[in-house]
Amino acid sequence: MAPATRSSPARPKGQPLTGLTPYLYLAPALLALGLFIYYPLLNTVYISFHEWNLVSAKRTWVGLENYRTLLASPDFRGILLQSGLYVLLALVGNFLLPVGLALLTLQVGEREGEVYQSLLFAPTVVAVSVGSLVWLWFYLPAGGVFNGLLAQLGLPPQPWLSSSAMALPAVSLVAAWKYLGFHYLIALAGLRAIPREYLEAARVDGASGLALLRRVVLPLFGPSALFLFLSTVIQSLEYAFIPIEVLTQGGPFGSTSNLMYAVWQEAFKFFRAGLASAQAVVMIALFAGFILWQFRLLERRVGYER
Amino acid sequence: MSARRGAWLARGVLLLAVAAVLAPMLYQIGLSLKPAPEVFGSALSPLSWPPVLDNYRSVLEKLPFGRYLFNTLVFALGVTLGQLVLAIPAAYAFSAYRFRGQGFLFGLVLVSLMIPFVVTYLPNYLLLARLGLLNTLPGLILPMLAGGYGIFLLRQHFKSFPLSILEAAQVDGASTWQILWRVLVPANLPAISALAVYLLINAWNQFVWPLLVANRPEVYVLTVAVQRFAGGEGVNDWGAMMAAATLATLPTLLLYLAVRKAILETFTEGAVKG
Repeated sequence: MAPATRSSPARPKGQPLTGLTPYLYLAPALLALGLFIYYPLLNTVYISFHEWNLVSAKRTWVGLENYRTLLASPDFRGILLQSGLYVLLALVGNFLLPVGLALLTLQVGEREGEVYQSLLFAPTVVAVSVGSLVWLWFYLPAGGVFNGLLAQLGLPPQPWLSSSAMALPAVSLVAAWKYLGFHYLIALAGLRAIPREYLEAARVDGASGLALLRRVVLPLFGPSALFLFLSTVIQSLEYAFIPIEVLTQGGPFGSTSNLMYAVWQEAFKFFRAGLASAQAVVMIALFAGFILWQFRLLERRVGYER
Repeated sequence: MSARRGAWLARGVLLLAVAAVLAPMLYQIGLSLKPAPEVFGSALSPLSWPPVLDNYRSVLEKLPFGRYLFNTLVFALGVTLGQLVLAIPAAYAFSAYRFRGQGFLFGLVLVSLMIPFVVTYLPNYLLLARLGLLNTLPGLILPMLAGGYGIFLLRQHFKSFPLSILEAAQVDGASTWQILWRVLVPANLPAISALAVYLLINAWNQFVWPLLVANRPEVYVLTVAVQRFAGGEGVNDWGAMMAAATLATLPTLLLYLAVRKAILETFTEGAVKG
């Protein structure tokens, strides 16, 4: 980047600037966003109206045919249902659980809390693809840790990853493990941001235990909890993506696939670019409400005022 | 319930959670240090005594780890530096100026954080194929340069920088470019380095994009190499697989141990994207 703006001095904040300067500073970053995020996004919508195998020079315009195919497909309905299950399980493992643990952390000293925070956060810095491998070992039908534990208790071994009913929760557990500490960190930061004086004042007024929690902590924690809730919903399918790829590749019989993973499979395993893109569009549409809501919160939080 | 008993109960639950979260990591390292017969012989105990390095030796013999490490470093550092170079001026513009379209453009930055990656991968893959950049390190790096996270985070820091100092520099005749790199950046170096560590870890751990566009051994990054090994040569050799996994994990874990505070702060501040 060239220092092309030598002549125009920095304006005091708050003064509107009509010159080119800010745009020049923004150009490289926005170009990258445009080229690698927003253009592809539009392109995905465009491809979704075609039938195309990714390699042939011929793309056939089929209009809404891909969308019709999806809506009529029982497989797709299964994938929608499974996506809903992933969202719900993520809300348990990556929202309720970390928030609960963060609330409990308020009961112990701040220094002690930092220790739990550091330890619980550790999986966040580990590559989830690599970290998921040991879970394959945990879930082994013979010789795995979980079935070993069951055997110790005198219970029969379970087909963790090869049963349609158990595989999805098993995959979800890996996602919960990986992102628990991250969400715990955010929840705890939200709780710690509650001014001490409020808590003290309520205590002086005789509030304690559950009353304190209900009347002071939860109302003030509400906005950050909502933020975390929306993050969890929006990210839940992505959180499960790599565990699915490593543990089950969507199987058995498609029972662990979700919308995101299905897009990946349609595009790069079955080479049905049009169908994959239509699925991607449907996914975005389904999550658009949550994304917009989250965007509003974020916008309010950062503010454009000077 | 008394406050004291409450504290002990909380402590108990938290310790249980810590044990559950750390167990997989402990088993991973433990398995990597077990001699082959012990792997299934004592599945439930994470460690066997004495630990042996056989698995590491065999993995390092079988795999060109140096090559993968080099690729991963080039990829992760390239993404990190590239994102910083793009984000710093952009964050400056968003924080120090007011201009037409600012709200809309910043909105684009924020929304970009919430767009799922699978939506963009197919067109990006096609673009790289057209440019002949598949299975090259530049191709691996380029699309990863689009990131709103750095802009979002640094804007907050730049905005809280005292205006009077910027004005003083301006009175002294400094250009905006000089103010950015000689005043604002040095003053925000802690935040920028923390962001750099965050971006580095994030790039280091990338798996899906490299799996898609760098699928020749010469351009494997560690995450992909470990996965290929686990599904190929190393299948059922759990000790070796875990040794490879541990080797690939070690750099980020050590980094975490070294600059834990900065990492935790960066993750907290911009809690938008994992």
